[in-house]
Amino acid sequence: MEIYIKKRDGTREPFNADRINRSIERACKGLSDPISMVTQIATETRLTLYDGITTEEMDQATINASVQNIKEDIEYDRVATRLLLKTVYRRVVGEFENKEETLEKMHRDGFIRYVTQGVAEGLLDTRMAEKYNLERMADCLDIERDELFEYAGLSSLLNRYAVKDKEQQPRETPQYFFMRIAMGLAYNEQDPNAWAKKFYDKMSRLEYVAGGSTNIHAGTPRPALSNCFLLEIHDDIEHIAKSVADVIKLSKASGGIGASITKLRAAGSPLSSNNTTSSGPTPFAKIIDTAIRAVQRGGKKKGALCFYMENWHYDFPEFLDWKHNAGDDYLRMRTANTAVFLSDEFMRRVANGSDWYMFDPKETPDLNELYGDRFVKRYTEYALMAESGKLRIFKKVPAREQFRQILVSLQTTSHPWLTWKDAVNLRALNNNTGTIHMSNLCTEICLPQDKDHIAVCNLASINLATHVHNKEINWSKLESSVRFALRQLDNLIDINVLPVKEAEAGDKENRAIGLGVMGFTDTLEKLGIAYDSDFAADFADRIFEFISYMAIDESANLAQERGSYSHFAGSGWSRGKVPIDTLARLERDRGIPLTVMKESRHKGLNWDVLRQKVTKGMRNATLMAVAPNANIGLVAGTTPGIDPRFAQVFSRNKISGKYLDINHNLVLDLKNMGLWEKVRDEIIEAQGDIENISDIPEHIKKIYKTSFTTSPFAFIEVAARAQKWVDQALSRNMYLETRDIDETMKIYQTAWEKGVKTTYYLHMKPRHTAEQSTVHVNKAEKMGKKGFAAAFSRKVENHPTAFGGISKLQPSLLVVSNTDEEEVPLPDEAEPAHVPEEVEEVVSPVRMSHTSSPAPFQRVHIADTDHVAPELSVKESSQKKQDVGQRVGESEMREPSPVAEVAVAKRPVITVEEVLAMSATAGPEDPQDQFICDSCQ
Amino acid sequence: MLIGKAQPEDMVLHPIRYPWAYDLYNQAVRNTWFPHEIALKEDLDDWAKMTEDERHAVKFLMAFFNPAELIVNRSIALGMYPYIKAPEAHLYLAKVMWEEANHCVAFEYVLETFPLDRAKVFSTHLETPSMKAKEEYVFKYLRRMTETILDIETVEGKKDFVRNLVATNIVMEGIWFYSGFMVALSFRQRNQLRNFGSMITWVLRDESLHLKFGINLVHTALEENPELLTPEFANEIRDIIIEGVERETAYNKDLFPRGILGLNADYVNQYVQYVTDRRLEELGLPKHYNAKNPAKWMSTATDVFELVNFFEAQNTSYEVDGHASSSTKAKPVEVAKEAE
Repeated sequence: MEIYIKKRDGTREPFNADRINRSIERACKGLSDPISMVTQIATETRLTLYDGITTEEMDQATINASVQNIKEDIEYDRVATRLLLKTVYRRVVGEFENKEETLEKMHRDGFIRYVTQGVAEGLLDTRMAEKYNLERMADCLDIERDELFEYAGLSSLLNRYAVKDKEQQPRETPQYFFMRIAMGLAYNEQDPNAWAKKFYDKMSRLEYVAGGSTNIHAGTPRPALSNCFLLEIHDDIEHIAKSVADVIKLSKASGGIGASITKLRAAGSPLSSNNTTSSGPTPFAKIIDTAIRAVQRGGKKKGALCFYMENWHYDFPEFLDWKHNAGDDYLRMRTANTAVFLSDEFMRRVANGSDWYMFDPKETPDLNELYGDRFVKRYTEYALMAESGKLRIFKKVPAREQFRQILVSLQTTSHPWLTWKDAVNLRALNNNTGTIHMSNLCTEICLPQDKDHIAVCNLASINLATHVHNKEINWSKLESSVRFALRQLDNLIDINVLPVKEAEAGDKENRAIGLGVMGFTDTLEKLGIAYDSDFAADFADRIFEFISYMAIDESANLAQERGSYSHFAGSGWSRGKVPIDTLARLERDRGIPLTVMKESRHKGLNWDVLRQKVTKGMRNATLMAVAPNANIGLVAGTTPGIDPRFAQVFSRNKISGKYLDINHNLVLDLKNMGLWEKVRDEIIEAQGDIENISDIPEHIKKIYKTSFTTSPFAFIEVAARAQKWVDQALSRNMYLETRDIDETMKIYQTAWEKGVKTTYYLHMKPRHTAEQSTVHVNKAEKMGKKGFAAAFSRKVENHPTAFGGISKLQPSLLVVSNTDEEEVPLPDEAEPAHVPEEVEEVVSPVRMSHTSSPAPFQRVHIADTDHVAPELSVKESSQKKQDVGQRVGESEMREPSPVAEVAVAKRPVITVEEVLAMSATAGPEDPQDQFICDSCQ
Repeated sequence: MLIGKAQPEDMVLHPIRYPWAYDLYNQAVRNTWFPHEIALKEDLDDWAKMTEDERHAVKFLMAFFNPAELIVNRSIALGMYPYIKAPEAHLYLAKVMWEEANHCVAFEYVLETFPLDRAKVFSTHLETPSMKAKEEYVFKYLRRMTETILDIETVEGKKDFVRNLVATNIVMEGIWFYSGFMVALSFRQRNQLRNFGSMITWVLRDESLHLKFGINLVHTALEENPELLTPEFANEIRDIIIEGVERETAYNKDLFPRGILGLNADYVNQYVQYVTDRRLEELGLPKHYNAKNPAKWMSTATDVFELVNFFEAQNTSYEVDGHASSSTKAKPVEVAKEAE
């Protein structure tokens, strides 16, 4: 079939293989084996073409062909990235006609055009043109930094964050994107050009990356730059209605929301307005669950929110069911997430086997505001009141039983996430304005809010992996990254425009920021450290202490330059406290020591000097929060947050696409050892777990574990050590293979004992996944079954054959067509269409001796005399001969089947050689078949 | 004996003779999902942007799958369940039948949500010769289980059982469905119909178990009835499978009369051949096509664990496990000694 390409202007031209090949060739420049890569990509591209394919689809086809080869060799990632970049350049800077030397200039000039036109069209803020010398900014752009991207990261960046035109195509190249953010956060600097350049250099080298909302909205006329919002729904209908509206507006501004519903009175609680009763929190939560579905955050992803409830709420058992996949839809939250805010009192009662009481918040309104020993006192009083009949309603269960229910729900629905109220509040330096009632959507934020303040946090993350050089952390570079990122975040707050006035108030008065870290595991791997080792925990301790120190110092500097945040007076900072100092308070209140190692692992940071400094002023109420970075981690091509590698190879299901994630560090190590090609299929077959691959040396296996083979206690340890220094919290994703509830309880109890403030999503290892497609699969082999191959067995040994031991070379089953004894009649359409001459054609050497037989329908099956199973009697055997003969005869008279026009494939009779060869051929092609993947049974 | 006339002794679950069947039942229960867990709003936005050829492919797929799930159920109810003795296999088949019903309703849910001419989609399988031919193929083997008196205790009866099993389980569920899944998932790979893709992932997860059951069943039937182990029956089974592939080949030409980005009929048929070789080998038969897998991207779609950002997409690897507790730990399934 001749293939024509439909061009952008609608005209058609014949497909030109040469042109495509040349363009792939350019993308393969400088790689280790460009010629075979070009051939591979070109051949596979060719497979997917069709007549009338458009030019864009053609580009996409070559990209897809490269992408699907990444699992063979990560160099294909480079090719795919370059091919994708090419399409972006062509669209954004214009047809560069493959003259590479002009591209850089066109890219530079295109930026000035992009900003001026963008401002004119209302896509960009007027300050983008007014505040800057665009020529100077354009000179700062470094197109070569585009080479830092991996395909999935670049694709996500373009899909999710880039400013788009009306056709939803990017208006920005990646470097324009970074420059837009840098400029969009430096308007108010004395020298905007100089600071924008500094921010740009950091971000474009992927040394830190701004949070999602900032990436989407910076530099645009609607700079809603915050990522996280925390609000509380009060127990009155006016406020519920307002909260629904606030949630919609904040979602529209692309923020993730934490919403506490602990204050809502229980179902059945009397209403004061009339003699009816309340329907409880669930139906109101359902309104919000539905509302966030309606809003598309940043155009594409629907709203995201997490409900928080304290577990002493009377309706907590119902809350636990919110995420179940079965049941009344009106009682289930399909979109929103849930988290439980647990007190130390509860954890103690779990430990000592006491009962747990649940109350109607209408009757116990102060509990939600209390924490630490004051909570304990009041809670105990309420429990006594309940027992003495002084409360209208209450429920009582063994605390341990409720803890178990929480974890069963967590295991089966991945909700609710466990967060700890007392660790959050007793360690806070910023709750001088009120109790912290919840964390946020990703459980890394700990901010107080009230009716007049929706808490707001602004995020960016340091990419630790770009601070490693020659197995060493570049500390001075890390310091400048922290300081610039902090300044950039502080700048953000004055530019930020939020759609709800309570959020504006929360943002401006507290100036809360959350600087995080990503690439933790990537860095460990580069340094050769195993995640579940003491070294990793000490490393986390050291890194977080350093970042925390520099962040605090920078905020104190900014306070001297720009003034303190409004509520500084009375904060922990104002009393000279730094996060590490608050451990003692938590311990004191609990009355038992935290089981985390409390010393410093970093020499040479003088905290006393800093304690002095912070009393003079802090620019921001909070400084650090380690977000999950699922998206910006992908953009930066590193492991997100403090997460382990999910697996050495896995797929990411993202809004921007489904990407195969393959651990480049591991691949490079294996390539250096000359092992990669040998084991790559095995790694996929084992779903990214290298533990049982015998060719890979042990020291490599120790470093490259998957999230399910790493001890869950290591996740806890790393979080606990980092948490010492972090004033807010960390999104601690959990991964478990065990489904043993007692063990799971122990893991989460340990987290509490170590002072971890919050845990996040729990990923359970799937016990069963769909059949794999691209690797060798043979279920029978794994069962140890031979199936029909047994019918062709060559065993001659002592069993008598149906034909009494006739020589092996002699034909055994000559089937004669004219046997017409009665037999079970069969509907003829079931007959396989055996055409005699086909039989002749494909006669194998073994069967040669029979071709001279005169019978027209002679069917020669297998020459072996002894293939018939010993149990088969002679009588049955001859009956069978008749069957087959009869059917072959019938097939002659058959009408052609309805699909006869489909060329009937030649169907040679199966030979013993083929069957015997089966086990042999499975080997070389698929070296992994000795490995038994036991994912299901 | 797994197949045969059920006797009074076959009415008790314990001792369990075929632990694989019981394991499959337990896993299947954990895999329970419901169509309404999938939100299709974003897919509707994609649908609006898709080309006519792309929409045709999706409609055509659903027109096939929707009745096909019910045909599988008929085949299980009439052609398998009555001739199987082991209660643990009955347990699993009961769950399978619910799953097929659930799949049918899931496609129904998509058909109800997408702006389609439903009547037209529903009648496609009756009006498209290539699709009809596929259905007729299955009915042909099923008919022998229902319309003529089948004596399962005879060799011929057992052969008919295996023929029908192969036509339904290996060919329909194990080859035709897999080719459809690949096509459906290819949209996801191009970042279209993400939620439909999640649903297909769930269907595929179920079908992987169905196939595992079917393959276990064939092997057990062959082991327990060595009189079925003859080269000519092996050839016949192989031919049944090849005939199924031929019908699929014709059907795929109607699925993709032209091509869409990344897919055309030849490409899909090469994948069908690749999958068929795998099925043949799983039955202990030699490869027939020696085809290479053209869809290497399927490694991303199905071969490795999927990490889902829960607020972006439906997590399809979750399992329901209502009885999770410490007492479920290492509770051994009683296994009967192989009664030889």
